[in-house]
Amino acid sequence: MKRWNIILAVVVAFAMLLTACGPREVDDGEQVVTVFGAFVDEDARRFRESMRPFEERTGISVEYEGSGDFETLILVRVEGANPPDLAAFPQPGLLGDFVKQGHVIDLNDWFDTGYLQQQYDQSWLDMAMMEGPDGEIMSGIWHRANVKSLVWYPIPEFYDAGYTIPETWDEMLALSDQMVADGNVPWCIGIESAGATGWVATDWMEDIMLRTQPVEKYDMWTTGELPFDSPEVKKAAEIMGEIWFNDDYVFGGVPSILTTPFGDAPTPMFDSPPNCFMHRQASFIPAFFPDNVEVGRDVDYFYLPPIDPAFGRPVLGAGDIYGVFNDRPEVREFAEYLTTGESTEFWVKAGGFVSPHNDAPLDWYPTDADRGYAEILQQATTFRFDGSDLMPGAVGAGSFWTGMVDFVSARGENIDSVMRSIDAAWPD
Amino acid sequence: MGMKQRKTISDIVVNGVLLFLCLVWTLPTFGLLVSSFRYKDEVRRTGWWTAFSTQRESETPRFVLDNYLEVLMGRDFTYTSATGAEVRASGDDLSQAFLNSIAVTVPATVIPILIAAFAAYGFAWMDFPGRKVFFTIVVGLLVVPLQIALIPILRDYTLLQLNGTFLAIWLAHTGFGLPLATYLLYNYISNLPRDILESAFMDGASHFTTFIRLILPLSMPALASFAIFQFLWVWNDLLVALVFLGARPDVAVLTQRLQEMVGSRGQDWHLLTAGAFITMILPLTVFFSLQRYFVRGLLAGSVKG
Repeated sequence: MKRWNIILAVVVAFAMLLTACGPREVDDGEQVVTVFGAFVDEDARRFRESMRPFEERTGISVEYEGSGDFETLILVRVEGANPPDLAAFPQPGLLGDFVKQGHVIDLNDWFDTGYLQQQYDQSWLDMAMMEGPDGEIMSGIWHRANVKSLVWYPIPEFYDAGYTIPETWDEMLALSDQMVADGNVPWCIGIESAGATGWVATDWMEDIMLRTQPVEKYDMWTTGELPFDSPEVKKAAEIMGEIWFNDDYVFGGVPSILTTPFGDAPTPMFDSPPNCFMHRQASFIPAFFPDNVEVGRDVDYFYLPPIDPAFGRPVLGAGDIYGVFNDRPEVREFAEYLTTGESTEFWVKAGGFVSPHNDAPLDWYPTDADRGYAEILQQATTFRFDGSDLMPGAVGAGSFWTGMVDFVSARGENIDSVMRSIDAAWPD
Repeated sequence: MGMKQRKTISDIVVNGVLLFLCLVWTLPTFGLLVSSFRYKDEVRRTGWWTAFSTQRESETPRFVLDNYLEVLMGRDFTYTSATGAEVRASGDDLSQAFLNSIAVTVPATVIPILIAAFAAYGFAWMDFPGRKVFFTIVVGLLVVPLQIALIPILRDYTLLQLNGTFLAIWLAHTGFGLPLATYLLYNYISNLPRDILESAFMDGASHFTTFIRLILPLSMPALASFAIFQFLWVWNDLLVALVFLGARPDVAVLTQRLQEMVGSRGQDWHLLTAGAFITMILPLTVFFSLQRYFVRGLLAGSVKG
């Protein structure tokens, strides 16, 4: 009968496990707001820390859950009638899909316009307006921003060689030529990013579009009214090609652009002597720099200069927009907290974070580099969101990427067919 | 050319091909192992084979344990607190995720095996109306991909308030694993010698006694081999865990931790090398301790006796 005892033991142990791991019991008094987002690990910790003042003041606990598969999971959860209270979307286009289906709460019902205008710059509020089933709604709250229009350069080598920060695009090209004449390589460019290969090129295109066209044209472009196969967009691609398709300009030559992972692309800048002197990339790139490289000491950045003075100093950026799915009193209270600079204070002070809130003072930023991003943002004559994140997924995370890969591998000679093929993927 | 010589040549060809296949198969894994011991900046800059070259530019040690320590202990990071002081906090280590993975995997392996063994016995040795129809349905379910069931099940779980609990994921894995388990075990159990069972019945044994005393011990090879399959499947699963369990730190399993470790933008992918070898430890232990059953089990039901 020994065997019987074993089976009995297993069953009992099992029953105990079942009861121990049954549905989580939430204390009746405790109020919980769930937030789901794409940022993980260190960023997730910083987010949790930033929410602490709110939790201490209100007693409401904020439960953050992050996953690298956010884009897929948020779809599954909303479809499965199990949405989080709030979701932090890195792509407003994806939030737009949920707005269209009527899943997202209109924040204009919660906050009055005057309050929001006091908290945010108008361009942020404009970007949050999206078309729902019953007209335009304020679809979300901006919380984290990052600046994309940056060019990184190694110090002190850059200054030691006698180079100066270019103020216009032409000066930047002249500087590139001067570097070539000195026997240096001006640019490091790499766009490999596994399934997302090509997005680096789309950022360049967007930056150039903002610098060569009025902002209305940019908006038309991201909404599909201005096709890729138009003189405006082709001109942007050609301007990009002047730098990208010059073997003297690019470290490793043009073919290496496609095979260099975007995170490794800036590394040659830190060889000694530097193998390249300029690298255009967003404010997150220092996370990929070698350990011993410090921003401000070994590397710095300048604002990607304007091309046509008529269009001022446009800035390309990105950020997280928090869409709200459930209406409960504690969710309202939390949403209001997110609209205040206080909700970003910890993260801003921890570094690598740009607050889009008007009431986040510049002296919160821990380093000159961090403050610099915020200043670039404040001095921008126009701010626009990364266009590929605004376009429908089939284009912005599909044909635009692959089109740019084709464009680079043919050194720009197939511009017409590439632009037509990007357009062809646009959903009807 | 004599027979012997020809045989030697064919041996060389066969062994050569096998050797080549083994190399192709194991070389990437070996590269991963080497990379996992290399210094972060070197993993990014140069291929793993350069770790053995005699001329190295950098002065950093050739091999370090940094990656493993960072994966196991969690990464420290510093930030400036509200008061302006530098605070050093340690990141999450793997222990919680490891426990969660075990809490998910063990029941999600045991439950389907138990149910499937009962079911297989019923299908094989008990007469009841509709036996063939039910069995056909079970076999038919083999070809249904689990992805199409995710959203409907999630809706049901939402109603039952099961989302984010271990029970939810056990049930999900049980459901997804049952058709294959039942089918595999049926093939094995139905091929057990009829005489043994008949003599048991003759001695007055009930179905339950027969099952417990005869069938279970005799089916050990098949049970063990399915246990390996199911264990590895559940252990390596990311999708089902993300959907039903979620990624909250208190329930996140190893695969989710690994994915997080890479960072929001994949900037720490070099940690995956060490992480891969650490997560392999338990499945490898399970595999080697059960492997003597494995080959026998693979043949389960393949030869009609």
